Amino acid sequence: MWDGIFTGLETAIAPFNIMMVVVGCFAGTFIGMLPGLGPISAVALMIPITYGLDPSSGIILMAGVYYGAVFGGSTSSILINAPGCASTVVTAFDGYPLAQQGQAGKALALAAYCSFTGGTVGALILLVAAPALASVSLSFQSSDYFALMVLGLTAVAAFSGKGQVLKALAMTVFGLMIATVGTDAISGIPRFTFGNMDLIDGISFLLLAMATFALAEVVMSVLKGEHRHEEAPMDMASLGSMKLTKEEVKHVAPTAARSSLFGFLVGVLPGAGGTIAAFLAYGIERNFAPRAIKEKFGKGALRGLAAPEAANNAASTGSFVPLLTLGIPGSGTTAIMLGALIAYGIQPGPRLFVDNPDVFWSVIISMYFGNIVLLILNLPLIPYISRLLVIPKPILIPLILFFSITGVYLVSFNSFDIELMAIITIIALFLRLLNFPMAPMLLGFILGGMFENNLSRALIISDGSLAFIWERPLTLFIMCLAATVLIMPVVGRLLGMRRLEGKADMLVADKGEG
Amino acid sequence: MTITKDHIGGLLFLGLSVVYGYYAYDIRMFPGDQFEAFNAQTVPVALAWIGSVIAILMLATASKNHTDKLSFVGLDLALVAKLMVLVWVFAQALQWFGFLLSTIGFLMVGYWLLGERKVKTLLVASVPFALVFWFLLAQVLEIYLAPGRMWQWLLGV
Repeated sequence: MWDGIFTGLETAIAPFNIMMVVVGCFAGTFIGMLPGLGPISAVALMIPITYGLDPSSGIILMAGVYYGAVFGGSTSSILINAPGCASTVVTAFDGYPLAQQGQAGKALALAAYCSFTGGTVGALILLVAAPALASVSLSFQSSDYFALMVLGLTAVAAFSGKGQVLKALAMTVFGLMIATVGTDAISGIPRFTFGNMDLIDGISFLLLAMATFALAEVVMSVLKGEHRHEEAPMDMASLGSMKLTKEEVKHVAPTAARSSLFGFLVGVLPGAGGTIAAFLAYGIERNFAPRAIKEKFGKGALRGLAAPEAANNAASTGSFVPLLTLGIPGSGTTAIMLGALIAYGIQPGPRLFVDNPDVFWSVIISMYFGNIVLLILNLPLIPYISRLLVIPKPILIPLILFFSITGVYLVSFNSFDIELMAIITIIALFLRLLNFPMAPMLLGFILGGMFENNLSRALIISDGSLAFIWERPLTLFIMCLAATVLIMPVVGRLLGMRRLEGKADMLVADKGEG
Repeated sequence: MTITKDHIGGLLFLGLSVVYGYYAYDIRMFPGDQFEAFNAQTVPVALAWIGSVIAILMLATASKNHTDKLSFVGLDLALVAKLMVLVWVFAQALQWFGFLLSTIGFLMVGYWLLGERKVKTLLVASVPFALVFWFLLAQVLEIYLAPGRMWQWLLGV
C-alpha cells in the first residue's frame, strides 16, 4: 500500500499534474458558477482536452474540475441565489440570507472551510477504505460483477426518489439499449446499425455525454428563455470580511465534522450523490439543533450553511469509492469519468489499484490537493472569477455550444457525429420536459458493455442456467441488496422522509445529479 | 381523461421498447448461435421485455393530476429549433467551407439568434476567437483540419 501511495504522491506532485489541479479547479469554479451548468457538464466539457493527456493527468484534471464546479455552484448560490448545480441548492437556504445581511465574505469563507473539511475527511477515509475494499473485491467473479452492475443500476434509479424510480429505471434501460447499438463485442455481429457505417462502432460515450448534459442544459436554458434574464448584479465591494471568529468556528466545527462523515457515507452509495447528502445533512442539523438555533435556519444560520457544504464535498469524494474499487460510478459525474478511463484503456475496478497504482493513488492524493487549491487560491480570487459572469448570455451560450460540438468533432473528425448530437439533444430536451432524469441513462450506457460481458461469461460458465444468481452466496447477497435498494424508497417514505425527498427529487429531475 | 407527462413518457417508452424488441429479434446470428447459452440477441431481447414491463408500470402508476400535464407555454421552441438547425448547418459547413469559416459563421449567427444585434460585437466576439482557436489547433497542436471541399474545388488544394 505504501509503495502505491508513494507512486501516487510522485505522480500527483509532478509540476504538470499540480498545474492540472489548479487549472481544473479554476475552470470548474467558473463553469460551476454559471447557473444551470453543473459538475456533470463541466467534466463533460473537459473530456476532449483530457484525451491529449496521459491517464493520470487527465483524471486529475477532471477531478479538479469536479470540485471546482461544486465550489463554483456554492459561490453563485451564496452571492446571487442561483445555484450552479442541484447539490448546492441547500447552500442558498442560509448562504444567500447571510449575503443579504452584508456577510457574503463570511458565508463564502465558511462554505470554503466546510468544503475543505468535507473533502479532507472524505479523502482520508478514501485513503483507508478504497484499498481495503479493492483487496476484498479482487476475489469477485463474473457473476458477482454482473450482480454489482445490477446493484449500481438499480441503486441509481432507487435514489432518484419519490415519483422518479420508474422513470429512472426506464432511463437506465434506455441507456443499456443505446449501448447495444454497433458491433457486438462478443460475436462481432452489427446490431441496430440499419446499414449505416457511421453506427458500426456504436455511439460514442463523449457524444452522448455532451449531447445529454452540456448541450442539453444550455439549450434548455434557451428554451426557458433564461438567456434573456440578466443576473442580479454582484456588489463585490460589499462582500464584507472573510474572517470567522473563534466562537463561530467552535459553533460550526461539530456540524462540519458530523456532516462530512455523513456525506461521505451517503456519497459511497451508488446514485445517492451530493444532492441527497446535502439535503439530508441540512435536515438532520436543523432537526437536532436547539430551538434557538433551529429558528435561525433559513435566515442565515452558520450551521445551516456548514452542513450541506461539508456533506456535498464529502459525498463527491465518497462517490469515487465505488468507481475506483468496483468500477461502478456513484454519480453522473463519476460515470463520465468512468467513460473517460475506459477510453484511455484503463478498466476501473479491483484491479485498478494493482495494475495502475499511479492512477489510483494519484487521483486520491490530488483530491486533497484540489481542496487545498480551492481554499488557498480560489477563495481569495472569487471576486475576480465572478467578474467572468458578466459575459452576456447571448455571447456565452453560442460559445458553450461551440465547445461542446467541436469537443466531439475534434475526436472523430466526422460531421455525422454533430448531426447525431443535434438529434440526441432534441430527444434529451423532450425527455427533460417529461421529467426523466438523464444520469441513469448515461450510467446504463457506460455500464452496458460490462453488463453484457459479465452476463455472457456467467451464463456460459453455468451452461445457460440462471442458477449462478443463487448458487454463489456473494452474488445472491448483492442481488438481494439490489432488491432491497429498490424497495428502500417506499420504506423511506414510510419513515417520514417525504418532504426532504420531494425537494431533492424536483431538483434532481430538473438539473441532474452531480 | 387527463394525459399527463407520465402517460406520454410511459407510452413513448412502451413504443420504443416494442420497436427495439422487433429489431432485436431481427439481429442476424451465426448458424447455431440460437442454441448457445448467450448470443447477440440475448441482452437486446431481455431489455425489450424489461423496458415494456417498466413502461406498463409507468402507465399504470401515472399521475392523473392536472398540474402534471405537459405544457409548452412560455417555452421558446422556435429559437431552439433555429439553434439546432444552426448546429446541423455547421456540420455541413465544416465539410464545405472548412473549420475557420464555419466557426466564424456559426458564432456570428449564434450570437445574432440569441439577440445580439451590434455588428461590431458580432465580429469582435467571433473572428478573433475563431482565428486564435484555429491557430491553436492547426499550428500549435498540429491537428489536421480539412480545408473544405469548396477550397479544394476553387484552388485545387
